Amino acid sequence: MTTPETTTQTSAPESGLTVRVESFVGPLDLLLHLCRTNEMDLSRLSLRTITDQYLGHLESVRFQDLETAGSFMVMAATLIYLKSKLLLPANPDEPDEVLDEEGELLKRELEQRLREYARVKAFGTWLSEREAEQTLIFGRTTAELPPPEDIPLEDLSVHVLQRAMQRLIEDQKRSVPRQVEPNPLSVLERMSEMLELLRSTWSLLFSSVAGSERVRAEWVVTLLALLELIRLGQARARQAELFGEIVIERNAVSVREPTHPIEETSEEPTPHLHTPHPHTPPPHPLPRGEREPEDLNA
Amino acid sequence: MPELIDVVEALLFASDTPVEASRIQEVLDLESAATARELVEGLRGRLDVEGRALQVVEVGGGFRLVTRPEIAPWLVKLARSRTRSRLSRPSLETLAIIGYRQPVSRPEVDAIRGVNSDAVLENLLERRMIRIAGRKESPGRPFLYETTREFLVAFGLRDLSDLPKVEGELIVPELAAAAAAQLTEPGPEPEETAAADDSTEQDPGAGGDRVTASS
Repeated sequence: MTTPETTTQTSAPESGLTVRVESFVGPLDLLLHLCRTNEMDLSRLSLRTITDQYLGHLESVRFQDLETAGSFMVMAATLIYLKSKLLLPANPDEPDEVLDEEGELLKRELEQRLREYARVKAFGTWLSEREAEQTLIFGRTTAELPPPEDIPLEDLSVHVLQRAMQRLIEDQKRSVPRQVEPNPLSVLERMSEMLELLRSTWSLLFSSVAGSERVRAEWVVTLLALLELIRLGQARARQAELFGEIVIERNAVSVREPTHPIEETSEEPTPHLHTPHPHTPPPHPLPRGEREPEDLNA
Repeated sequence: MPELIDVVEALLFASDTPVEASRIQEVLDLESAATARELVEGLRGRLDVEGRALQVVEVGGGFRLVTRPEIAPWLVKLARSRTRSRLSRPSLETLAIIGYRQPVSRPEVDAIRGVNSDAVLENLLERRMIRIAGRKESPGRPFLYETTREFLVAFGLRDLSDLPKVEGELIVPELAAAAAAQLTEPGPEPEETAAADDSTEQDPGAGGDRVTASS
């Protein structure tokens, strides 16, 4: 699945969702690939060839991130610098590809890094093969035995503890109780609440029904409910002074069935109250009866 | 009364980590770790002779009882999953560097790979393939990384000396091309001559390679 030159990385976090057919994990990787395809001796690089090919490849390489792109660019700059030295021959009689002292040093360093990287890459391949072999072997991964009473501390460094702590804190943040929105207030519910209260008492204070927290929505809904009750003739209200306390009283005549304030008054032409009621069936006439649909619920 | 060898089998069966010879010695109250090792070898031989589905392997400084590779197809079927998460190439290369040069700091890893290895190291730490070994007394005091026992187990290595000895293989310029060519298809056996030259550097964890590489 994982071959050296064609890698589709999905597990590494640094690769994200980038999928490339030919992927070079770094500038040295690309350079090594070029050397191999040109069958070039890693201790005798041909700077002209390799620089041209490197720059050619650079155009087709898709970078994972800015940092990776940067490292490719640094290598490109080094190569171009070295190649530029070749264009200014110190001695025209000298054979091809002779650099000055600084260039020679740079080139040797580059070659050495390349050889070092070749070794690392080969070892990475070796590890990959080992890993592949190991995937065929299954052993116990979780203990069947109860955990030891003393926790071994040898593997714990401050860094490990810090990471564990950080993870705990993040978990905690995620599990913070979220704000639950209460159901929107309903005028109907508030009306039946008030009627319920008025059944056991003669009068109520508006502020006691609306709540003392002075939540605006509460007050608006309570006021609408009160006005509706007054309109339906089920309650009366008195306000002794401007902005003063409103006293709500039961309208003794019409409190008959307080739990069903709407059905009770369904004969009256108040269609705007019926629509929000959940029990209201569609307003088409029933084939059998002549009765109003509301009567079915009563 | 069960035989000691049967007890050893049970120990390996029940443990999730490799069981060291010294631990077997302790549990069975044996006179030496060598006796424990003999028992394990006895068990290994018995499993081999009987052609059982299980085998004893020595990894991470201890012994494990694991299935034989030939059984894998059925186990894959049992698991209803073909894939076991594998490490990416950058991860493997980074592990390679740490495996040889440990303890090693991130700037050193970056220098060898030619790219930033931050995310890769983080991933390896997460998978417990590596751990922090301390800080390097150099500017910035970067963390030093080393491989873990889990690394040895994951790659079926007895200890770090099981890593192929590629040290010094590439320092002889004339050999570089041949060595590089050979390295494209590396086997567990490194080039003989190079390994012989390098016999003084048996411990790859010493990081002594740096000296030879810069010479």
